Amino acid sequence: MATKLDKRTIVIVGGGLTAGLVARQLTAKGIEVLVLERGVDHRAGAGAKLPNQRDELRWDTRQGLIQNWAVQTYSLRHSSGEESLPVRWMEAFLPGEGMGGAANHWNGHTWRWAEYDPILRSHYETRYGKGIIPANMPLQDWGVTYAEMEPYHDLFEKLFGISGKAGNIDGKIQPGGNPFEAPRKNEYPQKPLEITEAGLIFKTAVEAMGYKPFPTPAGNSSGAYTNPDGQKLGQCQYCGHCERFICEAQAKASPEVLLYPMLLQRKGFEIRLRCHVLGLNYDKQGKRITGVRYVDLVTGTEYEQPADVVVLGAFTMSNTRFLLLDGVGKPYDPKTRSGVVGKNFCYQTYSGVAVFFKDRWINPFLASGSTGTVIDEFNNDNFDHAGLGFLGGGGIGAGVFNGRPIANRRVPPGTPAWGTKWKEANAAWYAHSFSVGAQGSCYPHVDNYLDLDPQYRDAYGQPLLRMTFDFRENEIKMSEWVTQKIGAITKAMAPDIMGPVAGRKAPFDTRQYQSTHVTGGTPMGADPGNSVVSPHLQHWDAENLFVVGASVYPHNSGFNPTGPLSALALRLGDDLVSYTQRPRML
Amino acid sequence: MTKDKEANNDRRTFLRQTATATLAGTVPIGSRAFGAVGIAVVAATSANNTHAADTSPASAPFTGYQFLGPLEATFVETMVNIMCPADQYTPNGVDCGLANYIDRQLAGAFGQGEGRYMRGPWKQGKPQLGYQLPLTPAQFFMAGLGAASDACTRKYGKSFDQLSAADANTFLQDLQANKYADPRVPLASWFNDLIYPLFVQACFADPMYGGNNGKTFWKLVGYPGLPATHTIDMVQYRGKPYPGAKDPKSIVDFS
Repeated sequence: MATKLDKRTIVIVGGGLTAGLVARQLTAKGIEVLVLERGVDHRAGAGAKLPNQRDELRWDTRQGLIQNWAVQTYSLRHSSGEESLPVRWMEAFLPGEGMGGAANHWNGHTWRWAEYDPILRSHYETRYGKGIIPANMPLQDWGVTYAEMEPYHDLFEKLFGISGKAGNIDGKIQPGGNPFEAPRKNEYPQKPLEITEAGLIFKTAVEAMGYKPFPTPAGNSSGAYTNPDGQKLGQCQYCGHCERFICEAQAKASPEVLLYPMLLQRKGFEIRLRCHVLGLNYDKQGKRITGVRYVDLVTGTEYEQPADVVVLGAFTMSNTRFLLLDGVGKPYDPKTRSGVVGKNFCYQTYSGVAVFFKDRWINPFLASGSTGTVIDEFNNDNFDHAGLGFLGGGGIGAGVFNGRPIANRRVPPGTPAWGTKWKEANAAWYAHSFSVGAQGSCYPHVDNYLDLDPQYRDAYGQPLLRMTFDFRENEIKMSEWVTQKIGAITKAMAPDIMGPVAGRKAPFDTRQYQSTHVTGGTPMGADPGNSVVSPHLQHWDAENLFVVGASVYPHNSGFNPTGPLSALALRLGDDLVSYTQRPRML
Repeated sequence: MTKDKEANNDRRTFLRQTATATLAGTVPIGSRAFGAVGIAVVAATSANNTHAADTSPASAPFTGYQFLGPLEATFVETMVNIMCPADQYTPNGVDCGLANYIDRQLAGAFGQGEGRYMRGPWKQGKPQLGYQLPLTPAQFFMAGLGAASDACTRKYGKSFDQLSAADANTFLQDLQANKYADPRVPLASWFNDLIYPLFVQACFADPMYGGNNGKTFWKLVGYPGLPATHTIDMVQYRGKPYPGAKDPKSIVDFS
């Protein structure tokens, strides 16, 4: 029997990036916030201190900061006709654990998506006609416009001290930036990171082809920076230990650097660490969440925490799972294409081509998580899709993010896997190679969705979340087309050796890292018939429940997901200030 | 350090003596398995160990195996010396600490299955869904080693450590290419998903873990290691050789 605690105003499930941003807005207005987080405060740990921070085996190979799969994993099948199996050790994507969540170990890429991304369905239909979107691709508008999100993007970039070069200020195209960028009010708060040697090679080639390269917008701080809250970032040391690592120099914009230390000083803010949330208490008749159930991992005691408002700010997958576990909203059914929870589960469609230059020193260890030079010409709908037979695209870039030697060495095709020739190739090419890659979009498909696994359970006895996912025809065609564009670029770069040019293929493979950009499951929208939450992120079937994070994206774009979800989180904070004053459907 | 080096040399000397003794047939039967380790080491190290002298690589404190028994040690030492022969680039695999690394990993949290979802029911599926056996990595290692040894004996009529270097290399390539079918153990998965990653980690992980002795592999490729404060280097050495790559620093150097 759970011990019932005193009621709190706002309870947020999950102590990561979105929780920190929502809490910033609320506590500034004197509204109390309680955050429940299953993990620990990593700031004083080995992962955040030299010399052990620089341990590739511990933090990268052995996933020292990642969700413990022994406790909770996901199951997978590639289509709804197959049987699922649990992923017993996941490499493909890496949820975090601890105060700051996955945003502690992120690489730092901070995009605003295209101006048309929040109105993607309308955009495609307006440009190409009603028939352009296949019946099996449930694209939908978000119910919010980029213009409404712009001030929150601006605020987030200032809070996180983003380094970059604007491409479009108030509709005026800026040299050196992304000409396809959504219009922004202001330049980035900090100048871009230094370009890499690989970036220079790429830049020269694509400029000659008439494209407009620009630096990846980065959460890795190009200088010493103080944000509007007085919180500080150190200058990036280009050490190449960003993704999968905590930045010991406090130079990577992260919640445990910029948000939680400040929040912990604020009256009315509390974070309870090592508290694993088990579920929501749902009053279906009253359409309300009455509280949250959690187990304190230190005492083994189960608690019920009543709340006026509950925010799901956990990882994408967990947000969906909580709703399914407690029957909040109708689960999606691919057979009838009805229901909404678990719908529009998307990922990211990567591909890349390796290049080798014997006379160029790439020095991959001189890098940060976002030292990339990219072009946006072939991303999303920045080019004409008429007659191509697919929708979407990808940003193409030369990103050198680290030279950590266990996982990040390239050898030419045909090199043996061991022996003297293998050593010779490693010696010859480690410092002289890189990849040109595409981060491709992934649009929703009727048979890509999340539900509860009928068989497998986690360490708490609760069903695992089951992914039904694969790269479908649209993504495979898109990836092949974009990858051929990469091939043309890498050929123009005239490397001594070039790897194979091949797009992403099915089946989705859990054994290979791609990115942690899983999205959807609780899509937002203006129509309760195809969305879980409203344009204000309010649950249609529980007025005092709000969901925030990449789980609300109806599709995944050819960009990293952090920018828009952070803007939406800040906006949610402001909405909740209003809601607590006058509870209602917003 | 000097003491460790001596200890390591003592062990090598001991192993050579044991090997010689075994060959001479004077060692009691109970020591035979251990003698086999000696044979493997002698066969793979002494013959072609010219490189070791100039780089003093055998500096890691070898303190005995924690997990590997004599038979397993024979197999692993033979294997790492085939996969990493002494040549102009590095000393042999044993001297680089590769067997030591594999032993430590199997003995520790990794070998015991830390962080792996280990609940049933147990079924096999598509490879893309990942490893699905109810064995910890250490248990899988043992099962695979037994099956691989049997496969070797069936094919060559002798144990892995007794093969010529060329045959041993072919045997490993055939394991990798799924050319050996064992009725119970998925040998290609054993080699590609467990053994090969351990080999790569042994070469390139921080020497703190017992492999990559003397930062040999970091020097080989030019990875400078720690502490990596490169704000100025980023500009100064963009497109140029980075001097620190010749003298890498490990966690051990800062501990």
